[in-house]
Amino acid sequence: MKRDAKNLTNTLALAAFWVAGITTVVVLFAVIGYVFINGARQISPEFIFTNPHGVNAEGGVWPTIVATLYVTGLAMLLVTPVAVLAAVYLAEYAVQGRLVRTIRFAADTLASVPSIVMGLFGLALFVESMGLGFSVISGALALSFLMLPIVMRTTEEAIRAVPKYIRWGSYGLGASKWQTVSRVVLPAAASRIITGIILAAGRAVGETAVVIFTMGTMINTPILPTDPGRSMTVHLYQLSMEGINMPAAFGTALLLMAMVLAFNLSARWLLRRNRRMQG
Amino acid sequence: MASALTVSLAGCSNGSHASDQVIVTGSTTIQPIAEVAKEGFERAHPGVRILVSGVGSSAGIENVIAGTADIGTSSRDLKGDELHAGLVDTPIAYDAIAVIVNPSNPVDGLTKAQVKAIFEGRITNWKQVGGPDMEIGLVNRDEASGTREAFFKIVLDKERFDPTAVVLPGTGQVRSVVAQAPSAIGYISLGFVTPEVKALAIDGVEPSEEAVVNGRYPISRVLHFLTRGEPTGLVKEFIDYVLSPEVQEDVVRDAGFIPVTAKDAHQ
Amino acid sequence: MSETQTSSAPRELKLMSRSTYLKEAALKNLFMLCATMAVAGVVLIFLFVGWRGWPVFSEVGLKGFLGGSEWLPTQGLFGILPLLVGSLVVTLGALALGAPLAVGTAVFLSEIAPPRVRSVVRPAVELLAGVPSVVFGFFGLLVVRPIVADLTGGLGFGPLTAWLILAIMIVPTIATLTEDALGSVPDGIREASYAMGATTWQTIWRVLLPAAKIGIIDAVILGMGRAIGETMAVLMVVGNAPVFFRGIGKPVSTLTSQIVMDMPYASGVHRTALFGLAIILFLISMGLVGLVRGLSRLREGTR
Repeated sequence: MKRDAKNLTNTLALAAFWVAGITTVVVLFAVIGYVFINGARQISPEFIFTNPHGVNAEGGVWPTIVATLYVTGLAMLLVTPVAVLAAVYLAEYAVQGRLVRTIRFAADTLASVPSIVMGLFGLALFVESMGLGFSVISGALALSFLMLPIVMRTTEEAIRAVPKYIRWGSYGLGASKWQTVSRVVLPAAASRIITGIILAAGRAVGETAVVIFTMGTMINTPILPTDPGRSMTVHLYQLSMEGINMPAAFGTALLLMAMVLAFNLSARWLLRRNRRMQG
Repeated sequence: MASALTVSLAGCSNGSHASDQVIVTGSTTIQPIAEVAKEGFERAHPGVRILVSGVGSSAGIENVIAGTADIGTSSRDLKGDELHAGLVDTPIAYDAIAVIVNPSNPVDGLTKAQVKAIFEGRITNWKQVGGPDMEIGLVNRDEASGTREAFFKIVLDKERFDPTAVVLPGTGQVRSVVAQAPSAIGYISLGFVTPEVKALAIDGVEPSEEAVVNGRYPISRVLHFLTRGEPTGLVKEFIDYVLSPEVQEDVVRDAGFIPVTAKDAHQ
Repeated sequence: MSETQTSSAPRELKLMSRSTYLKEAALKNLFMLCATMAVAGVVLIFLFVGWRGWPVFSEVGLKGFLGGSEWLPTQGLFGILPLLVGSLVVTLGALALGAPLAVGTAVFLSEIAPPRVRSVVRPAVELLAGVPSVVFGFFGLLVVRPIVADLTGGLGFGPLTAWLILAIMIVPTIATLTEDALGSVPDGIREASYAMGATTWQTIWRVLLPAAKIGIIDAVILGMGRAIGETMAVLMVVGNAPVFFRGIGKPVSTLTSQIVMDMPYASGVHRTALFGLAIILFLISMGLVGLVRGLSRLREGTR
């Protein structure tokens, strides 16, 4: 009797966990499926490669694609050297102490700053105080602060995952610390570091609240870093809240999701290929 | 352009400007029209620059009087001293606002006073205005909206909106929410009314293009281009372009307004 | 930046030459400088957002800002209490729905799922983390809101819709960290439990979850930070009425959504008030991170 009750509870509880796991998957596919099914009709070379025109943004979304990739690429360029070297410091040079604790606390804080706060910060510092205006460079600078802790953490993990004996080998050959780090450790950790950068870039592509207040909302194909532009996320937000041109909203949502998925899947692919090569 | 950031656009106060550019400044309601017209005009006139900014009607009027803008755009009529500043008024469109409800709602019309009471939150149930016993679902626009500003002045007479209303930053969202919810009431530009919603008669007047251009429909206003003296040269060319069928039919209508040319058709 | 110079550096087996020593020291300092960029970022955010937001405290006053119960910018009233309550209601509801789902998913992944199922669910959780919040808002606005409208008889804008959307959005944050916490529980403990005849459920409930407790609390706190700071998705479904919570189907507004709604037209004191909201948000999220760190220090202390 008691044993049956015990087994029944066990079965029910396990069923509940299955439900939790499956719910997560179903929701993901529901969101992706909804966007892809409704957006597919809209996708055409014209939609992707032409400019929007008219009061309700008829036509294409090309300027928003350019602005999104431009601001993300620039942010990657800005954040990568700083974040990688910061991670080198934390993983290879730093001794546990107050400074390291402060840096880690700051990185954690930065990682959890709400994106709207980052947006207003970018507006106050880059757009207004530094006089960069609503521009790709303002957006990239603000995004790089958002990406910094992500790239720092993944890079540090990647460096720590490089086996110690490789370093000993290098030191044994008489290499200095920097030679060891730059010639041995970083190349060994490279693919995991790149994975982290791509994931952070994927996050930047999907960011709205930061770019709306730093890059602006003007539909424009940016050429110079000082040009303003409207990202795909901001375009989707404005189209869906305006609610007049919903087909274009679905099309933009699809392209945005496809871009984010491409970033995530390529990062995963890179990681898996790397594991296979090592293992 | 619901959330168009107009933060840093006020910087057009430099009085000196070249002869190949036209400065258009003023009403945020008119801004979308002016911006699209600018694109078309610049395409047709290479080398010419039209600078458009939305700083509000009063600032637009001030700028054109002071000579820092070639065209001041305004969604309100001139008043007081402004009437004697030598401005020439060219109406370019009508902005009429329809009060919309769900098609299943039996209420077909309200008085302007009832609409005011509903949006102030003093009437909260449809049965108070002859409808079913159902709580009213208020849908308001965001404060950056020109439609809200017009509604606020014309209907609410600048009394406070009920703060518990849903606030949506776009016309199409207001329309689709009202189309889905039986208890909802909202307001949108007349040009955006579709059969999925029912536009109410106000003070017994059905909202229609004809009623607007004849001045019988109470929730409407005229959108103005103001110039110092009769427009000449490039300024005149731009105004003529805005009044051309190309802009009136494709741009003004797409933005939800009624073309000023519709007046001829209804008289 | 200095890779090219290294190749020409003299190499010695035992002793470093003076120039190498100097270069190594310079590089170390450069790296340290990079690492302190994170600190600089936090300080800059605090300074610049604080600088823009500070006037609200002098002009509206601490009492009028933090203690005011009406947010009516047109009348010069900037009381954030309704927004604070709105943020709290939205966040707590999302946690109540999302945390069990996320912890359940994590337990499922770490203890129950067969490898093949796991290889589908885990990437799904990771991809969920990458879905832009504006897409969640879009989905919430067009799919979830009408359903909630039918359920509650209102317009569908309000906390309930925000809960459903946010609950899903915080799943990846909480699930990933919970799975890490479960993974760090030694296998010996599991085996001991099974050896005593415990069922899987008993092992999970009586042994694993208690053992991973602090890690799970960390995860939930960070999920809370994500929920309270979430902007676009909330903005699109919450109704944006800056009034006190009146019911799960009635519109409210939050700290984050109010900033985006008001920013396009705000000027003067109103604009500083929005930066003031950002300071509050920043302090809340920093406080939550501090709490997590405090907890982990506690855990290290008790061992």
